[in-house]
Amino acid sequence: MQERVRLSDAQINRDLLRSIFETPKWYWFLVAFLGLVVLAGFTAAGYMFNQGLGVTGLNRPVMWGFFITNFVFWIGISHAGVMLSAILRLVQAEWRRPATRAAEVLTVFSLMTAMMMPLIHAGRPWRVMYWVFPYDFARGVYPNVRSALVWDPAAVFTYLTSSILFVFIALVPDIAVLRDRTTGWRHVMYSVLSLGWRGSVRQWKLQLIAGILLSAIILPIFVSVHSIVSWDFGTAMSVEGWHSTVFAPYFVIGAVHSGVSAVVTVMIALRWVFKWENYIRMEHLDALAKLLIVVATGWFYFFILEFIFGLYSLEGPEVALREMQVFQMPWTALFITFLLCAYFIPVPMWLIPKVRRSIPLMIFTTILVNIGMWLERFIIIVPGLARKQVFTFTWGGYTPSAVEIVIVIATFALVSMLVLLFAKVFPLIPIGDAKEGMILYDEIKIGKVMVPAVMREE
Amino acid sequence: MHEPHHPVQASYLRMTAQEITQDVIQRHESPGRQFWMVTSVLAGLLGLGIIGFIILLSKGFEDRNAWGYYATTFAYIFTAAQSAVLISVALRMVKAHWRRPIARISELFAAVGLFTFLLLIPLLWVLPVTTGRRSIWFEWPGHSPHLWDTLALGLLVVCGLALLYFASIPDMAAVRDHATGARQNRYRRMALGWQGSLHQWKKLQVGISLLGGFYFILLIVVHMLISVDFAMSLVPGWKDAIFPAFHAITGFQSAVALTIVTMSILRWKTSLRRYIEADQFWGLSKLLLALSLLWFYFWWSGFFTYWYGRQPAEQSILKFLMFETYKVPFILAFLLCFVTPFVILMWNFVRKTIWGPTLAASIVLVGTFFNAIRFYVPAYSIEDSSLHFLETLPPANTPGGVDILIIIGGIAGAVLVYMLASRVFPIVSTWELKEGLLLQRVRKLMKIQIKVLAKPE
Repeated sequence: MQERVRLSDAQINRDLLRSIFETPKWYWFLVAFLGLVVLAGFTAAGYMFNQGLGVTGLNRPVMWGFFITNFVFWIGISHAGVMLSAILRLVQAEWRRPATRAAEVLTVFSLMTAMMMPLIHAGRPWRVMYWVFPYDFARGVYPNVRSALVWDPAAVFTYLTSSILFVFIALVPDIAVLRDRTTGWRHVMYSVLSLGWRGSVRQWKLQLIAGILLSAIILPIFVSVHSIVSWDFGTAMSVEGWHSTVFAPYFVIGAVHSGVSAVVTVMIALRWVFKWENYIRMEHLDALAKLLIVVATGWFYFFILEFIFGLYSLEGPEVALREMQVFQMPWTALFITFLLCAYFIPVPMWLIPKVRRSIPLMIFTTILVNIGMWLERFIIIVPGLARKQVFTFTWGGYTPSAVEIVIVIATFALVSMLVLLFAKVFPLIPIGDAKEGMILYDEIKIGKVMVPAVMREE
Repeated sequence: MHEPHHPVQASYLRMTAQEITQDVIQRHESPGRQFWMVTSVLAGLLGLGIIGFIILLSKGFEDRNAWGYYATTFAYIFTAAQSAVLISVALRMVKAHWRRPIARISELFAAVGLFTFLLLIPLLWVLPVTTGRRSIWFEWPGHSPHLWDTLALGLLVVCGLALLYFASIPDMAAVRDHATGARQNRYRRMALGWQGSLHQWKKLQVGISLLGGFYFILLIVVHMLISVDFAMSLVPGWKDAIFPAFHAITGFQSAVALTIVTMSILRWKTSLRRYIEADQFWGLSKLLLALSLLWFYFWWSGFFTYWYGRQPAEQSILKFLMFETYKVPFILAFLLCFVTPFVILMWNFVRKTIWGPTLAASIVLVGTFFNAIRFYVPAYSIEDSSLHFLETLPPANTPGGVDILIIIGGIAGAVLVYMLASRVFPIVSTWELKEGLLLQRVRKLMKIQIKVLAKPE
């Protein structure tokens, strides 16, 4: 049942622009605290650049550790943007309205954060120019275009560009609202960014078409990004457990699982922080939780396929890898935690309607999912590398160092800080969409009761 | 907002609940002469199939190669018909109002499950034991895969039939109330005392949801078992984790196609055209487009990983299933399951017609058959499934006269079962239409007519 309250346009403006025009006391404290954590991360990275990768736990054969796990994790979170925004826009799901902007913004910031990880991981980030620009044809030194590691940044940057466009196109009408309510330099900034928006029929039509077109175009990009990230692993023939045909969809749906969960966490935080109870309502959490049940179960199916077909041919190295993942401490503990967090605790809980409509429990379950999904990437990456070699005496292990832990924690602070700063400049719930939702809201009398109803645009 | 290509208001929304019941039940009582003519022809074709089957049976089960096209026919019917039930389950789950007139059309395919199950039985004798070869059962538990696959398919069929029966109870009560004599007695027993009380409606809703959810999970499991046990594990060196998921996607795609084609035939040949309109074709064609794209994505994920890897075992699989031995069915499947439907359905104005989705769906149904050929025929052409990988590729198995008889008879049999089932259960779900009358309105917003959909939950 919808819990919608009829709100006037003026009320919607007032509520949704509150994050921009009113600054609560805690706001700058929180931003400063997050900024400090980010600073600690940059300091740790600077120390690592100065001392070399020896200060991390990376070693031979485990060359990829916390940084690459975190890279895959943030790429995963970025998939929420398109999943919620583009797909739900195309299928005209009414409950998408308060979630789209938060999802898109999360996409942009998590992609930026994700792309920092390989740079940090490389140890000497200034050398990146050598990967990007072919600098010495005479000696045959140029990026290997046949490597998934080169396709990866291409796909991620395409996704980043289109996501920024996507956010911006949806923002234009809201920026115009801000333009009309600000003075001074802020007015100038919003005037430039609003691109002369007056809200004419033609402008709305163009904005609508651009949104739909971008949704349709961004979908294949969204699928390609995580598929290519999965091929960073899938095309590595020598690592047991990585060369699996199911990796691409398995990674994509896993990304959607963690991404949508992250959006729910962020939405609940926004509702609490900016008092948006009239906009982010229980019916939205309910619908998102139902979507998560389906996505999580789809993800679990692919996990089962990946695991069964890992063992399918019962080859020694593959069995050794699975044995390490499941039966050797501390991996056993991590594996159990991963399964409990990513599926077996949240999904049965979401099946209960009361849980879907409870804020603390939804926060709890969605954070659990992301703990689980972070561990999933870790469990795929490290044991595979640790058991990479044919000879048992060259097998290895991995323990993250303090430097890696600090940098990973700092990425979470960075994304949170960027979302908070964004909320200070732009509304995190689309104002135009909220007003459209009010227009399209209706009621139908059935028997003696009034039932909430929506007008279909087509 | 552009002008829709079809009227906002569905024709049945202009009828009263009583008119809908009378209209559908009248058609259900007397399907017409043409119906019986078609069923007779189908019975004849099924007879030919049975002759083909007897000839095949007389040769015994040792020559697995001879059973390739039989297995293909079984897999094809399973893929399309058993997945078709899911259309109504999925659309009901997402509460799509436009599903109402076509829910039963897709659910009726559950009845074909009985025929699919019969087709499975001889294959159990053809399928070798798993000892000494790769399998998802790892030689445990006993009698796998034969016993467990049979049980799983049996459970799926029973669940599908239960769903069909359960979702038809209010309609059977309506038939009971309009019939006389023996027919009334029969439907009285089948309607299980349905009076339409609040308690009964609640039970019905819960039952349909539970059975639907259970069917969904079972279907995915059975797709996995059949695709691996009856195809992949018979080919040495074929270790393809995405194949069960790809198999399920082909199932969903062909299910949508099958439903669209059935809708077209009903529109063309019966008086039910007022229920099955552009809205339904539009909705399903969007699904078909999405599934055709997914078909490509799942195929590509599997193909790419093999092709890039350059490992001998994987290269021989690509040569065997795609680029050499079974090149023709692969190219046809690729063209008919992905390229053609994509080119046809990418245009919104085509998706809003009746002919566009029908054409694309018919093409997909043919494509799915070639898709089944390219997996099942090669799998049965390998003598020794316990090899490490395919060092030499067996020659292609082209269909003979017996195979063609079996294919025709199998497909005719499936259609015949569907048609006969439509004699028992009304092919349009009247209670869902009547529910639709309550929950949908057409109102004026500014200058345009707009549909208003109630969201009671």
